[in-house]
Amino acid sequence: MPSRLSVDYTKCTGCRICELACSAKNEGRFQPSIARLKIVKYDDLGLDIPHVCSPCEEAPCVEICPVYAMRQDPISKMTYLDEDKCILCKSCVGVCVNGVILLDTVRMRIIKCDHCDGDPECAKVCPTGAIHYGSISKLTTIERHAKIGTYLDEIKRVAEKSTGEA
Amino acid sequence: MVNGGYTGKILRVDLTKGDFKVESLPTEWVLKYIGGDGFAARLLYDEVPARTDPLSPENKLLIATGPITGTLWPMSGRTVFVSKAAQTGIWGESHVGGFLGPELKYAGYDMLVVEGRSENPVHISIHDGDLELIDATPHWGMRTDEVTAAMRKHHNDPDVQVGAIGPAGEQLVRFASVIVNNARAAGRTGMGAVLGSKNVKTISIRGHGSVEVAEHEEFFKLAKKAHQKVRQNPQAREMGKWGTWILTAVKQEIGELPTFNHRTGVFSGWESLSGEYIRPRFTVSDRACFGCSLGCKKMNYIPDGPYAGTLEEGPEYEGLMAFGSLLGIDDYPTTLKANQICNKYGMDIISVGSTIAFAMECYENGIIDDSDTGGVPLEWGNTESAIKILQMIASREGFGDILAEGSKIASEKIGKGSEAYAIHVKGLEVSGQDGRTHRSIGLSHATSARGADHLRSLVVVDQLGYEKVAAERWGVDKLPEILNPYTEQYKATAVVETENTYCIRDTLIVCWYSVSWPPVFWMSDFAEMLPLATGIDAFGDVTTLVEIGERQLNLKRLFNAREGITRKDDQLPKRFTHEPMPEGPGKGQVVDLESLLDDYYRLRGWDPETGLPTKETLRRLSLE
Ligand code: SF4
Ligand code: SF4
Ligand code: SF4
Ligand code: SF4
Repeated sequence: MPSRLSVDYTKCTGCRICELACSAKNEGRFQPSIARLKIVKYDDLGLDIPHVCSPCEEAPCVEICPVYAMRQDPISKMTYLDEDKCILCKSCVGVCVNGVILLDTVRMRIIKCDHCDGDPECAKVCPTGAIHYGSISKLTTIERHAKIGTYLDEIKRVAEKSTGEA
Repeated sequence: MVNGGYTGKILRVDLTKGDFKVESLPTEWVLKYIGGDGFAARLLYDEVPARTDPLSPENKLLIATGPITGTLWPMSGRTVFVSKAAQTGIWGESHVGGFLGPELKYAGYDMLVVEGRSENPVHISIHDGDLELIDATPHWGMRTDEVTAAMRKHHNDPDVQVGAIGPAGEQLVRFASVIVNNARAAGRTGMGAVLGSKNVKTISIRGHGSVEVAEHEEFFKLAKKAHQKVRQNPQAREMGKWGTWILTAVKQEIGELPTFNHRTGVFSGWESLSGEYIRPRFTVSDRACFGCSLGCKKMNYIPDGPYAGTLEEGPEYEGLMAFGSLLGIDDYPTTLKANQICNKYGMDIISVGSTIAFAMECYENGIIDDSDTGGVPLEWGNTESAIKILQMIASREGFGDILAEGSKIASEKIGKGSEAYAIHVKGLEVSGQDGRTHRSIGLSHATSARGADHLRSLVVVDQLGYEKVAAERWGVDKLPEILNPYTEQYKATAVVETENTYCIRDTLIVCWYSVSWPPVFWMSDFAEMLPLATGIDAFGDVTTLVEIGERQLNLKRLFNAREGITRKDDQLPKRFTHEPMPEGPGKGQVVDLESLLDDYYRLRGWDPETGLPTKETLRRLSLE
């Protein structure tokens, strides 16, 4: 089975070391705003959710690209961008299900995860194992979602019960 | 000219005039002070003259970062708020984790200086080069979590980092804090009151730029190695699991868990304030500050009981102490609720808890009664009263108005001998340690620049008996005495060396928990890293770093000296020097402070009479 990036929300502490390392490796400087992955933080709930290009089984970024600059490897499912073909229409930026395709407005180019050519820096530096590189089974993904769901339900239950006042 | 790691810019906002100004970072500061606390000490000393009223427009508030803020170096996401302190009228500083400092660097600034006073409530909004003051009238009165959400919504960007004051800061509660990321507090000395006096509700920052170090590849490699060091350190792993709650059991065991307003160091109800009790019952997630692989922050949730539905980070050990043992409360949910109120209303949990402890001891001794407290029975262990009075302090309602001044001023107002129960140094309430069972912290509390502080020079090596480390740092000849927590001998040596290192820690800026306990990094690690970050080879020499640390410390001392601080102010409450520890392993112990001070001043090159830096010392550090 080909390798993917997989994430486990319940382990992520929101430290953003992955964002730092991604920009350090790919851009030669520390600049989380152009990292190829994104930690979405919910300080009020105590949740931190990593968004990465996994990639998708059926990738909307590939489907929408009008000039076939975004392509998918049929076996690994890896999506990658051919920068020479890209016309900067930004269609992929809007359509990415994880919001991890960016437009670099300084150098005018599309920025997208290339899985570090099979050696993902983010997975290596993540201190908690929240980002993992390897084959994943669908079941574990579903279980993880279920865990977050239970947590959110519980918060909602008590919020409805109590006044919510500090 | 700017070196690696720095942005080279200082941003100033003049609230009186309503304008912003960008200045170059003075290059000579870099070599003399490195960053963080060092830069801030220089600027505050130069620009806030003696006798300035902390709550006047003439006072300034600074947010400072260091050369590695915003890089991958472990736990370097911290930042410092500095001002003449609202609570004490002397040097004030408060470090905070979260994500605010790196964002300031990404926006392009090493420091932010807030000056003057706005006519109307404002938000200071910094988006890269877009600088504006936004009307905060609609948000005045909001809690910190509400206004943080409001600012993110206003900018339509969930990644805006917000430093906010709550209602307590608006009400000029003396120990009001600034809260970032909902639950990380620049807690001590009243930074929230200074912002409140300037009519600033939030500082909102968003940056899309980068931090570039001098030797990227080498630095990147070393930083990753440093993270491995944190991840493999057994004590750091324990800290990651239990957070600072790990301390409760340790403190109880050595008889130093401050209880009943520091009367004793032994608390029968300690178990329900310990990590082993709390984590399995209440913790829902582990969290970290920017760039931290340890992750000591815990999100907790109370499923039932009177505080059911409370979802909040913390409290830290200090909060467990201040709203737990210090008040005789053995109930974790109460401490979490108190922490939530402190976060949402913006107050320092240590000072407010200690001030309530002061009031409880006055109540016990009949100095105040129900007619003073508005009918709130301030009995030890009464959880409802503790929460009630806390709310009254946040809004300065009734008796809360007096307590909102902090224990020193409150005791002066109450009189009748209540001063004996105000456990503070220079107006700042004593944190969760006790010099009687740990002599070196007695010296730290007495001499630290901001008052009774545990963060600037707390030595842990002596207390926990790390022999090898002690021998390396202070010399085998000082063993075993230096490791005996019950003697004054050599404690000044330990404090001075530790304090110098912490000064460097506070210039970088890195977290306490990568340096102080557990001791993962020390001076030599910084000496290895700093030249790669900055391109300045001089920082590769530990003796140079020690001198830079000393310079920072002496400059803070000079700031305080100008306000009249001398040896006579480096005192401890009589509780620690005259009331023997009543029970536990340290039973019978008191602090002989004068001998500690003699040693400390000698090692510092300060005059033994006045406790102030001598001319030679100032010359040696180029501070004349
Ligand atoms: S870039 Fe976005 S849309 Fe495309 S495969 Fe990756 S996650 Fe899916
Ligand atoms: S795999 Fe590489 S490029 Fe993709 S997010 Fe991780 S570090 Fe960035
Ligand atoms: S490095 Fe790991 S734990 Fe930290 S934010 Fe990224 S995914 Fe989460
Ligand atoms: S150890 Fe704790 S306080 Fe320090 S940086 Fe990490 S999470 Fe923040």
